Amino acid sequence: MKTVAGKSVPETRAGDSLWRVVNKGSSFNRLALSVLAVLAAFAFTAVPISLSGKNPAVAYWALLRGAFGSVDAITFALNKSTPYILAGVGVAMCFRARIINIGGEGQIAVGGIVSSWIILTFPDLMSSVLIPLALVGAALAGAVWAGLPAMMRLRRGVHEVLSTLMLNFVGTLLVGEVLNGTMGEPGAGFPQSPLFPESGRLPILLPQTDLHSGILLALIAVVSCHFVLWYTPFGFRLRVLGSSSSAAIYAGISLSSTFLSVMLLSGALAGVAGGIEVMGIHYRLIEGFSSGFGFNAVAVALLGALNPLAILPSGLFFGFLEAGSLAMQREVGVPSSLVYVIEGVTMICVLCAMGFIGPRSRS
Amino acid sequence: MKIIIELLAASVRIATPLLLAALGGILSECAGTFAVGIEGMMLMGAFAGVVATYSTHNLLLGLFASAFGGAALASIIATATACFRADQMVTGLASNILSLGLTSFLVRGFFGGQAPVMRLAPLPAISVPILSRIPVLGEVLFQQPALTYAAFLLVLPVHFLLVKTQIGLTMRAVGENPAAAFAVGSDPIRVRMAAIIAGGVLAGLGGAELALQELGTFTDGMTNGRGFIALAAIIVGRWQPLKVMIGCLLFGTASALALNMQGWGLPVSSYVLQMAPYVIALAVLIGIGRGVKMPAAIGRSFTRD
Repeated sequence: MKTVAGKSVPETRAGDSLWRVVNKGSSFNRLALSVLAVLAAFAFTAVPISLSGKNPAVAYWALLRGAFGSVDAITFALNKSTPYILAGVGVAMCFRARIINIGGEGQIAVGGIVSSWIILTFPDLMSSVLIPLALVGAALAGAVWAGLPAMMRLRRGVHEVLSTLMLNFVGTLLVGEVLNGTMGEPGAGFPQSPLFPESGRLPILLPQTDLHSGILLALIAVVSCHFVLWYTPFGFRLRVLGSSSSAAIYAGISLSSTFLSVMLLSGALAGVAGGIEVMGIHYRLIEGFSSGFGFNAVAVALLGALNPLAILPSGLFFGFLEAGSLAMQREVGVPSSLVYVIEGVTMICVLCAMGFIGPRSRS
Repeated sequence: MKIIIELLAASVRIATPLLLAALGGILSECAGTFAVGIEGMMLMGAFAGVVATYSTHNLLLGLFASAFGGAALASIIATATACFRADQMVTGLASNILSLGLTSFLVRGFFGGQAPVMRLAPLPAISVPILSRIPVLGEVLFQQPALTYAAFLLVLPVHFLLVKTQIGLTMRAVGENPAAAFAVGSDPIRVRMAAIIAGGVLAGLGGAELALQELGTFTDGMTNGRGFIALAAIIVGRWQPLKVMIGCLLFGTASALALNMQGWGLPVSSYVLQMAPYVIALAVLIGIGRGVKMPAAIGRSFTRD
């Protein structure tokens, strides 16, 4: 902890450059940067594909067809993108304030648990009451799961990277625990809850498809976060906090309340993403439903240069990528875990570009 | 009594991969780079070690492959954070995702699309002559497999490297104040890169310990957060190898206890027991709280101008 103007400041020790570029770079540069990072990732990823004895061009073509080849493929990908966009916007808001919340997976998991519990406990409510109730429950659960590391940081100085990572494991194991206990379907042979009643399922947007209304919530979240970040005092406070914690202190901004609020916001968004996943896709709680989502959200936030509006295309990109990769695995036998390679390399490229073109920080 | 001895021996064994990874993490962090990527380095080490041992039937080659796998990922992290000044923590996270994808992809890709069933005989325990006959202590400490001895024997050399040698002094100088280190003639960027890569070798061996000595196979994401526990151990031990070793033993004991309780048939679900190491790590971190003095320049990138 360092002290500024008589107050102790929770020190953020992350590299300066990422946040400066995000605040200052022109929008064209940011777009160019993201596109280049994606292209570089595809180029790098051709190496392991060739190593495994497949033709990268064939694999990528199958991926593209799998992502856009049919209406079903597109709606599948849109559904995939929904939780990434929701959780990604939350991560972007945190990163803006230089808070590294990488606990999306745990927050999504507890969001899914609580919304499932609400739906299975009150199956007789009509759907216009039950669904909002379940989503609010999911948001609260996610907020609590993100609030815990915030409090640990503010009260005890535990860095949020470690605490959110640990809580990911606890959150996902909690799903198994409740399914193993009271919420599991008896005799299912797999850790899953009973099927939700019709009233607890998200309405379908396009008839004859699987596209559920969660994508609308994701859109609302993107637009509201854009508004909050750029046009409200709270958004201003969190941007100041991200630029310089000493400036924030001198401006009389309460660091701890800003820190806590943005963590709660981000957790709530991730929680809603978890609720949407169980209510829109699986219609039940199943073990491992949140697997990898939290890290995808970080990739989405970075590729979107921490800009809420840009999270939308970035989230869609990863959603389509994942949907396409599943088809690629089916059709040409290239394992779908390739997605994580593309994702990791994209992230590293974005981070390198941001670090490299960012202003040199004096150490 | 037998139960307790077995429990303690298991704690030492479970602490081994944590210890190797944590020692690697100390090298990286003392020179000023957060070691969030050690989870991925362990996974790369586990993967490379198992694939090499499985294909060549040569354990030594497997160990070399593990060290190389960890170092390979570490050199990506080193290039990104030291040369390109990428954010250290998020780069660490990204490289963890990369290693998860790469290992899971290649373990299928190398063997024609299907992950083979790789069953390797786990390394046997070696009894140290004389010492292993000490009551209790002998059974706990001196009837362990080879890599466990190696890990614990590394603690003192790493301590001396950091505290008593010119290299260690330079590393710590770069971690505390890279500008000053630069002024007296060392190159912080190169020192940091070397430290991260050396850390990757150790973390890769940690993965090898897990894969070749404990389980005898590779599965997707098999490190399962051990790298993060090792990070917690580094903080608990305040970047000092001897104390970090105690931290690792603490977390090892917690895991061993959780594993054993499953065997005792207590009415605690396996999920709760699996949570134990993470919850305990969090509790310990909350317990030590503030006043942990980390290397002063950790997380900050360095440029010459």
